[in-house]
Amino acid sequence: MKNGFSVFIAAFIALGASWCGFVLAPVLQLGTAKQTTILVSGDTYPVQRTGDATLGLQVYRANGCTACHTEQIQQDGVVFDVVLTAAGKNPVVVSNLISTLKLTGLTKEAADSANDKITTVGGKVETHLIPTGRDIPRWGIRRSVATDFLYDSPVQLGSQRIGPDLADVGARLGNADWQLLHLYAPQSVVKNSGMPPFHFLFETKKIGDAPSPDALNLPKEFAPPAGYEVVPTTEAKQLSAYLLSLRADVPLYEAPFTPAQVSTNVPAK
Amino acid sequence: MFRPNKMSDEPKNSNPQPEAEPAVTRSTVPMWIFSLTLVLIYLGAVYFDHHGGWFDPQVYSPYKNAEELEAYQPKSGAEALRAQGKKTYETTCGICHGTDGLGKPGQFPPLAGSEWVNAKGDKRLAQIPLDGLNGEVHVKGQDWSASMAAMGAGLSDSDLAAVLTYIRSSWGNNASAVTADDVKAVRATAVGKPAINGETQLKTIPE
Repeated sequence: MKNGFSVFIAAFIALGASWCGFVLAPVLQLGTAKQTTILVSGDTYPVQRTGDATLGLQVYRANGCTACHTEQIQQDGVVFDVVLTAAGKNPVVVSNLISTLKLTGLTKEAADSANDKITTVGGKVETHLIPTGRDIPRWGIRRSVATDFLYDSPVQLGSQRIGPDLADVGARLGNADWQLLHLYAPQSVVKNSGMPPFHFLFETKKIGDAPSPDALNLPKEFAPPAGYEVVPTTEAKQLSAYLLSLRADVPLYEAPFTPAQVSTNVPAK
Repeated sequence: MFRPNKMSDEPKNSNPQPEAEPAVTRSTVPMWIFSLTLVLIYLGAVYFDHHGGWFDPQVYSPYKNAEELEAYQPKSGAEALRAQGKKTYETTCGICHGTDGLGKPGQFPPLAGSEWVNAKGDKRLAQIPLDGLNGEVHVKGQDWSASMAAMGAGLSDSDLAAVLTYIRSSWGNNASAVTADDVKAVRATAVGKPAINGETQLKTIPE
């Protein structure tokens, strides 16, 4: 081949440059990422999953949940709300002033100026930072960032949104019974759900001496025949534990917001 | 109305004229390509500035850069107080005592590790910036004899409290925070007095 060596060098540089950009640079920037501290409460985040939830990630993966669900909340911007916390000595003046001001959906500058105006007449205010976007607040509170995925292996980002985003599902729907019911018969809890039932994660068996404490409490049209009960298998319980562990509901440095109340990262029971 | 297909009867041209061979000629690149390239580079740079975050791993869209993200941090009480203290310290005290709290050898005593700064109570410490301090003082095993003006007399209670809290919790110092009420109480007794005269008088002030 003519100029074989030059072609090799050119191909090597082209591939090497893209490797540096797509592999080396991200590893240098985020490869040593560690647990971080939640802004307000000072708790560490994220916490390592429990054993069940860690195995549940593999169940999630094995059943192809990423084909329909993403785990990444998008954010388009931020707005600021100015909230009065104390009226001070001249409540009438403060309330008159407030009735003339716009206090929600402000830019940072507008919020600061409203803050100054109210503070000069003696009121005390708090400025709340609220993320905005098409996923917020229906699926999450703030955008997803790299820290959220620290203990995910492999990360289940997903790209198809046939179903809702699950990055914050543990905080939105933090009830194990609901999750199990939804896995067995999605339409029993979400009427127009397009999700297929995952019957094979459950066992329909004859009721023995006493009903199993794990048995699903199904509505009539989804219930098994009389004398039978539906109990979740270990896999279903692991998957439900994993779903409950998906919580991206704490403010971080790189994704700040003002929580309604100081949030904890303890998974819901 | 039958018409024979004339075309098919015509003999095919088996030897068409070859098209002209493409030839390399010299011509200048039009100016508009240069202009367009420059405009595209400019637009790209503007877009990068707004969306690139300058490759900072902490900056995600929709935040433009680290400064914007920093400005949006919800400051809790302690953090905000520290920021206020640092700012006031650096403009009022840092010129002599240094932004690193180490002072200037032979001229101004250090605050880092100083036994006066790290005292249990904050009353005596608060009185130094309110009244000023002249004469000999013993700090960290050395004698100092600079004179300090009443630098804190012009600061508000909350600013002075923030500064005192800042110097008591920075550079390895680890003493309790000072509240604006503490400063207010000390100011009430200290205002208008002459500068504290050396270590002997300083020691008579209750901690």
